[in-house]
Amino acid sequence: MECNGCEFRAELYYDRECQIWVRREGDGTLTVGMTDISQSIAGKILHVRVRRPGTRRPVGKPVATIESGKWAGPVPNVFDCVIDLANEDVLEDPNLLNIEPYEAWIARVRPVASVDVALEKLSTGDAAFELYRQRCLRDDIHCERGMR
Amino acid sequence: MSDHYLEDQGEKSVVIVMTSGPSTAHRCATPFYLGALLSSMDAEVKIFCTMEAVRLMQVGVAENLSAMAGGKRIIDFIRDAKNAGVEIHVCRPALPGYEIEADNLIEEVDAVASAGDLADLILSVDRLLFF
Repeated sequence: MECNGCEFRAELYYDRECQIWVRREGDGTLTVGMTDISQSIAGKILHVRVRRPGTRRPVGKPVATIESGKWAGPVPNVFDCVIDLANEDVLEDPNLLNIEPYEAWIARVRPVASVDVALEKLSTGDAAFELYRQRCLRDDIHCERGMR
Repeated sequence: MSDHYLEDQGEKSVVIVMTSGPSTAHRCATPFYLGALLSSMDAEVKIFCTMEAVRLMQVGVAENLSAMAGGKRIIDFIRDAKNAGVEIHVCRPALPGYEIEADNLIEEVDAVASAGDLADLILSVDRLLFF
């Protein structure tokens, strides 16, 4: 699925602004990454810094920061969690986020409450695609992928 | 690889005093970029616009200004900073010098403040930057 060239994956979970995607893992953790929308807005990403594993991040406190030539800001966080792991490949080569945003995850986190409680704050499937589509159209976002 | 990780440094407060304006457009993006970054690192960030920087807060100015030819508009840097949690304050005493009315400021402005408010911030903040 896509809108304005922005890829959407229905099996993932998304925040209301579709800035991040979240995937449920089998070990009670959640994987967090940037959507195609977010990587396109940021442009070529130069630096990613993740909170050190073991750090608790309450709602609203970012999991990571992103820097590109024209954009700096947070990887937002919508549920109380503890950082479990960072993707070392992305830390070493942040451009992966521009090339394959749904494979190049940023961090794996462990919700303080249950996974189900954390995911209640997110949308998935058709409902998420409607949010995604509205964001693309409202902000006239057209996605482009980075090159190796 | 330790520098890829953000350490918990507590929640520091930062004030960025912005004095640059449209006459030096190339100086107008970085303070908002840095403010967005600091805010996303848990700092409580206020950008205080005084002197020529008040012109960036006038409706219609930042929307038509870029730091480099063909580059991202200053208003978009301002909005990025706001989205990251930065507060923007505008110096009331500086407005008359640029013939700007307080009701003709962009909606991203959080407060129109006095010089005394800035003085209080300077004396209480953890980090102070001037641009």
